[in-house]
Amino acid sequence: MLTWLESTKLAVWLTESPSVWAFATVLTLHTAGMAVLVGASWVLDMRLLGVNRRVPLSAYRWVFPVVAIGLLVNVVTGVMLFMKSATKWGTAAPFLVKMLLVIASVAVLVPLRSHVRRNDADTEVSGNLRLLAIASILAWTGAVTAGRLLAYLVP
Amino acid sequence: MNLAHLHLVMNHVPTLGAVIALGLLLLAFIRRNEHLKHAGLEVLFVIAVLTLPVYVSGVAAYYEIRERPDISVDTVRIHQDAALIGFTLMEFAGFVGWVALWQSRRRGRAARRVVPAATVLLVVALAIMARAANLGGDIRHPEIRAAGAAAPAEGDPERFITSAITEVAVYSTWVWPAAEAVHFLGLCLSFGVLLAVNLRILGVIRQIPFAEVHRLLPWGMLGFGANLITGMFFFVGQPGQYIASTPFYWKTIFLMIAGANFLYLTVFGKAWRHTEDGNAGFEASLADKAMAVSSIVAWLAVLYAGRMLPFLGKSF
Repeated sequence: MLTWLESTKLAVWLTESPSVWAFATVLTLHTAGMAVLVGASWVLDMRLLGVNRRVPLSAYRWVFPVVAIGLLVNVVTGVMLFMKSATKWGTAAPFLVKMLLVIASVAVLVPLRSHVRRNDADTEVSGNLRLLAIASILAWTGAVTAGRLLAYLVP
Repeated sequence: MNLAHLHLVMNHVPTLGAVIALGLLLLAFIRRNEHLKHAGLEVLFVIAVLTLPVYVSGVAAYYEIRERPDISVDTVRIHQDAALIGFTLMEFAGFVGWVALWQSRRRGRAARRVVPAATVLLVVALAIMARAANLGGDIRHPEIRAAGAAAPAEGDPERFITSAITEVAVYSTWVWPAAEAVHFLGLCLSFGVLLAVNLRILGVIRQIPFAEVHRLLPWGMLGFGANLITGMFFFVGQPGQYIASTPFYWKTIFLMIAGANFLYLTVFGKAWRHTEDGNAGFEASLADKAMAVSSIVAWLAVLYAGRMLPFLGKSF
């Protein structure tokens, strides 16, 4: 199946096209999506940990559509990048670690989202919510680090 | 025109600019004038931003002229080391000056010791930059060397700071990848903060008072600081691959634009008047919105040029 993914038209185009609009642009979009996705998540996490504590949590609902856009871009470009070298990534332990960290980061956003949507003028942040914010910061940090290190760990 | 010319055009900016900033700050102390103080700090910030292309073009100039028989490579390297220390101190001074501007915007004036600290750092940076400039003059103008002063001694490459950094960049297996990881984390942090600030100005986010997104700026600066340090490590470690790279110059140009934008976001006044009374729902002017769009575009361009370095140029 990994070999089949690599032989699809899309994967071959990414591998063989010399155009900067092929692999290079997909990789750059993946980086831009990361900046939007992780950056917006961190702004919310900072609020939960006490930066801008006078602002009600409901004022942070904008974070989730922004995160969704970044996530969409990165799932699409991420799948393309995976297909390009499916046999390499599918069998590399550091890649699987990165995937677990990304899934954990996104999973932490789910309870954060339902909490921020539920509360209207709330400015209080419970201890549990703060723990989730710390988990979110750490999980994204791990995912970004693992992603960047793939270039060196999986040559 | 090549980059050596650009270096010759720009190389007096750090010293002359530092003198102007220092003059304004000293005058502000004597006259106890807050406006003069802000002007001095703003000039300091701009000079700190402009010192980056001065350093970069200097390295490019070295690559242009190093093959010539009448150039002493060691003279250049001694100048380069002094310039790197001067650059580092100038960035520190610029950073502390920026903190003073940020505090002034929030509370009407900077905390008690911040402006004096920026001034002292600026004096030290100016002294080292002046030495770097003097050493730079020696490269092509031995006739201006002080009477009796010997030519700089032939050096052992181990002695140079820049060679030591290259050594680490080339021979350590983990320092370069670790710096790359930090560079990406810093990118996320500064981009997230700038996105929040600019989306607020654009009105995409409405419920947060502008004063509150302004509070996030130091976090953006933290991310940028991490990226300036790691980015300079890459550049000093492997200058050849960046000097030969077109996207690297685009990245530097867009960083200048983004820096100007960042200063505007830190000090501009209109949004504040509307938010001091807690009025969160103000509408920014069209000019401010244009500034916000240009800020997002400039940072995306920095990111794009940086990520495309290996593909449009030959660097990695």
